[in-house]
Amino acid sequence: MATIAPSPPATIDLDVRRLPRTLPWYIEVWGQMLRRKPLGTLGALIVMGMLFLAIFAHALTPYGFAETNLRERFISGSATHWLGTDQIGRDVATRILYGARISLYVGFGAIAIASVIATLLGIFCAYWGGRVDMLLQRAVDAWMAFPGLLILMSIMSLLGPSVLNITLVLGIAAGIRESRIIRGVALSIRENTYIESARAMGSGHVRVTLVHILPNVVPTIIVVATTGLSTVILTEASLSFLGLGVPPPHPTWGGMLSLGGLDHMYRAPWLAIWPATALSLAVFGFNMLGDALRDLLDPRLKGG
Amino acid sequence: MKRYILHRLALAVPTLVLVSVIVFSIMRLMPGDVVIRMVEGHAYAPTVAALRAELGLDRPAYVQYFEWVGGILLRGDFGSSYWTRQPIWDEFISRFPVTLGLAALTILSSVVIGVVVGIVSASRQDSAADYIGRIVAILALSIPYFGLAVLVVVLPSIYFKWTPVYTYVPFSTDPLQNLKILIVPALVFGVTRAGPIMRIMRSALLDILRQDYIRTAWSKGLPERAIVLRHALKNAMIPVVSLIGLQMPLYIGGSVIIEAIFRLPGVGLFFFDALMRMDYPVVQSVNLIVATMVVGLNLAIDLSYAFLDPRIRYR
Repeated sequence: MATIAPSPPATIDLDVRRLPRTLPWYIEVWGQMLRRKPLGTLGALIVMGMLFLAIFAHALTPYGFAETNLRERFISGSATHWLGTDQIGRDVATRILYGARISLYVGFGAIAIASVIATLLGIFCAYWGGRVDMLLQRAVDAWMAFPGLLILMSIMSLLGPSVLNITLVLGIAAGIRESRIIRGVALSIRENTYIESARAMGSGHVRVTLVHILPNVVPTIIVVATTGLSTVILTEASLSFLGLGVPPPHPTWGGMLSLGGLDHMYRAPWLAIWPATALSLAVFGFNMLGDALRDLLDPRLKGG
Repeated sequence: MKRYILHRLALAVPTLVLVSVIVFSIMRLMPGDVVIRMVEGHAYAPTVAALRAELGLDRPAYVQYFEWVGGILLRGDFGSSYWTRQPIWDEFISRFPVTLGLAALTILSSVVIGVVVGIVSASRQDSAADYIGRIVAILALSIPYFGLAVLVVVLPSIYFKWTPVYTYVPFSTDPLQNLKILIVPALVFGVTRAGPIMRIMRSALLDILRQDYIRTAWSKGLPERAIVLRHALKNAMIPVVSLIGLQMPLYIGGSVIIEAIFRLPGVGLFFFDALMRMDYPVVQSVNLIVATMVVGLNLAIDLSYAFLDPRIRYR
């Protein structure tokens, strides 16, 4: 009887050290941005420029943001006041720079809060599922049925305008809204076989969530946060415009444009033009950066 | 179809109940007591306690909640303003046509601009017109509508001696004048909202134009106009319509600001004035009415898909 000799186990000649080195995705994405996304690169440059101006605002201008000079009112632009002065002689350029600081402070603060809420709520709902998820999702539905600005205006008028209040309110509101997206992504990740095998190998719920689900949600969180930033900055400006956001004397772009100063703008149109330009440029930068990051990191979210 | 509508309506009920609970709790939990202001600043009643009793604020919160919701469901009564004692629903209805006119013109202008530029952009992909259209869309997306509105109010009055009309005339009195008043704010708002419509129209149409039935239409020898407008456009409209539905809250929220800038006596201004006077019943009821409208509109938009694409069936 012929016996079949057992074939030797197949060996793959694989030496990990000889594989081409790949950069981690969070570094790789910037190289791709430079090569493939000119508008995204432009957006990133605008955002970095804005960060620079905001951080070094106090060093870049000799004036204080609330410093008045009644002898130099309504100057339309000069060697000492590049973008002119307003009705009580405050330097417009200075106020734009400090306005960038407030916008970014509120923007990043609110988005940090929103990301934490969205991640916790989204992953929890997706992983737990069942009736708890159903109930929480109906609450999210109810929240999303509100016209955003109306309910935010209501809350802000009751709490009173302050930097802390608006950051918290915008953060919580955006967090609830964004949890929907994180939940969707986490739901599809949960269905993967590696989650099942991790469970089979005895990993607890906490370990599965933190080690296997969370890292895969991170790119989505980054995309949602970047696109959310422009919305938050715009909403803060709308609320400050109505006098419900950041209170004076803090300079904000929305507040500088607001109706209270309309009479002065007829005399000094630059009081309207510069804050509007700064706000548009910032929103443009964050939009382009967010779009490009979305295309590179998570194309599933496109078309939303 | 009928079952689908009933199912969706049944789902809307718990959502609206939650909406009413959320808005009621927010109004009750927050600091800032309007009653003190009404007594001390405006002498509405001899003492704070007397006014609280008069307005029914001395009773437990849940009693107040059920009275509010009960009034709406049983009598169609949305309560009255603290300050004027006028019924909220009457005021809302009398101002609603202004806001509706503004919203309709805004949506119309943003859809017309967005769809036309989107079609040109998609059917002439990578041409100069396409690039210009895309850049305009990105710019429109970035300019905040209130910033543009302020510039439109301020700049032409300085350089061209032109100002928007501020005295409102109802449509029933003088339709043409009404249109003249609403068109400027609607265009300002519509242009900034046309950006996303343009972008989604372009990508949807590009997607459709690569499908087999479009190639068939080409090989039949149909002119381009017929292919794009008759065969492709309707199918490409679905994402556009759902985008408009998603943006409905933005249109409504934005109308508060637009009405304040252009001094239009609509629901938005009613809401804003109530907010400034901490007139809780008005703020609460307007929030609820508008949220109900958003839920209803989203249902209507879901149903319109069947018209746009007969392949869609509802179960």
